[in-house]
Amino acid sequence: MSGFVPEQIADTVRFTGFDGSERLSHYCGYAADFISQVREDSTIDGAVFPKSCDSSRSIGSYIDDTGKFIYSMPVPAVKNEGAVAYFAEIIKDYKSKIEQHFGVSISEEDIKARDAVISGRNAQIASAYAKLDGLSYASYIREVHASLSSPYEFNESRINSGNDGKPVFLIGSFLAGVELADSIEKAGLKVVADNMPESGRLASRAGFESSESDIYMKIASEILCTRPSPTQDLFDETIKSDIAELRGKGCKGVIFATQKYCEPYDYLFSVYKKALDDQGIPVLQVQMADSTDGSGKAAVLEAFADII
Amino acid sequence: MPDSYLVHVAGAMRSYYKDFSKYAKGREPSQKVAWVTSFTPIEILDALDIEYIYPESYAAVIAASGLEQPLLEESTRQFLSCDCCSYSCCFEGCVETGKGPRGVPPRPDVLIATNNQCNTLPGWWNILAKRYNVPLIVLDYPGEFTEDPIARAYVLKQHKDFVARMEELSGNKLDENELTKRVENSINSVAAWKRVAACLKEREVPPTLLFDNINFLITARCKEETALIYNLMADEIETYPECDKSLTPLFWIGYPLWYHKDRYLTEVMDGFRVCGSNYITWWNLDYEGDTVWDKLFSAYNNTFLNLSQKTKTERLSALIAASGAKCAVTCRNKSCKCDYVSAKNVGIPQAELEVDMIDREYMDVERAGKLMAILKETIG
Repeated sequence: MSGFVPEQIADTVRFTGFDGSERLSHYCGYAADFISQVREDSTIDGAVFPKSCDSSRSIGSYIDDTGKFIYSMPVPAVKNEGAVAYFAEIIKDYKSKIEQHFGVSISEEDIKARDAVISGRNAQIASAYAKLDGLSYASYIREVHASLSSPYEFNESRINSGNDGKPVFLIGSFLAGVELADSIEKAGLKVVADNMPESGRLASRAGFESSESDIYMKIASEILCTRPSPTQDLFDETIKSDIAELRGKGCKGVIFATQKYCEPYDYLFSVYKKALDDQGIPVLQVQMADSTDGSGKAAVLEAFADII
Repeated sequence: MPDSYLVHVAGAMRSYYKDFSKYAKGREPSQKVAWVTSFTPIEILDALDIEYIYPESYAAVIAASGLEQPLLEESTRQFLSCDCCSYSCCFEGCVETGKGPRGVPPRPDVLIATNNQCNTLPGWWNILAKRYNVPLIVLDYPGEFTEDPIARAYVLKQHKDFVARMEELSGNKLDENELTKRVENSINSVAAWKRVAACLKEREVPPTLLFDNINFLITARCKEETALIYNLMADEIETYPECDKSLTPLFWIGYPLWYHKDRYLTEVMDGFRVCGSNYITWWNLDYEGDTVWDKLFSAYNNTFLNLSQKTKTERLSALIAASGAKCAVTCRNKSCKCDYVSAKNVGIPQAELEVDMIDREYMDVERAGKLMAILKETIG
């Protein structure tokens, strides 16, 4: 479900889109579809999700009667030493609850071994991310998504090379509707950098050096102290680092992809747009109705390509 | 002549609004100013002589004054989605245009947001931080989702760090006796307010009176005069006539509709009387514990919207049972994702109304009337 959920503890299937049947007005499509899938898909044994936005903090209320393993992860809303130590305790608690529910034992060695796999995967994503100007972003993001579940393998050789296009920066919530990436390329645009949870943010973890010897502290600091999510309330840091990166990579514009009713990104957009306007950087907001909505944006993307 | 609560209400209002632009007329505040969310541990600020202002409450005042529409429109021009909490949209319009019934609040020296009611507020406070270029402090309350020793240690550390930063801002040193006194004031305010709220079940009290006057429990709970106001108010309304028991008792689940002259839908509620509301209990904070720090943890970590669904259901069910309600109106509030789900499994027939607490143009009143008619039929 989220970059806040530590992959080192248990196998999770990263949510990548489901046509939800639950009518949940005013919650983002991810939350509605997540709830629907957990309720309806008998192959799902449990659900773990962060308490990081209003939609996600309400999820538990809709699935607590399923009899499945349910863990609402109270992710810190701040980034500091105390928050890292606290989050390390939460990760321990998450592990312990999994052990109790599923009757399994997870040793520190298991976690360290899994951490090595995850770190290796992140390093490969970071390597490909650095070469995005020569790759198809749509192909890259599909490979990223495939690597988000066991066995966590990322293979750069499977990524298609990219066509020429006007370089742009992409920011938004998880790109479940990956067809948006196809539409961007078809419009003559080329994503050369991003601030997406599964891409730019995950890649930033590869370069993060933790001084922590405790594995839980290491995982917690890696999740909290790398490129932040808008739910970590560091809009200023996000805007400054994004502008520096997109300038450095020669981006001619920014595509801001939001989900309907996704407040963290809606609030961020209001100040992000003003900051980009101040710098003369064009920005296009693309709003997706739900987690499967990745298409149908051709006209606005083509118009944006013409403008920049 | 008996002392009237209205005299003290007027004094409290004058004190709160003294530095808003309409009254300050260019005069600078004498204290440092913090803009806070409605579940901020203001006892700490008060003990350090820092003035605190509530943007959410002011958005409600703007709507109650009938001024919200142009300000909501202005917020969309500022690229703020109209899907966002309308408190934030309305207030954004106010500070952008400088227009409000009492002008604009004094400029903040610091912004303080908490996530113990929702995660929207820290997002909103981020855009205020960009606007005013002042420090933003987010206090993170895990709520019932984290077991006590871990949550308690985490919150205690944040409270201590918060004190240090506020001491630096104000230039004052926290006197723990002064803090304890503020917490005791808050406890007294909650107790007095419970006396007032209890009258809704039995007396001919317009719910409007409670929806409006809970304001002091939000904005001035740690002031000594707040308990005085509520005790005087309770003394008075406890003498009101008994309510009309021939009307169907109804529980109001959700926010008041601030734009409405009565704050609830009187026009579609013939035959019903409001006998209870969860909103008027939200600030009945439980300052439990031996030390002042334990009390602050208990009050601010365990706010209603920071509880698990199981506990919320238990508490809401108990409130409804105590009110004697036979049915409920549940506000599916466009602006508050966290509140609506509170009404899950409360065990009485409900009419679910699509509302917004600020935007008067959001609701389909005709449809609401039909749903209320169905509710009436359902309960016979």
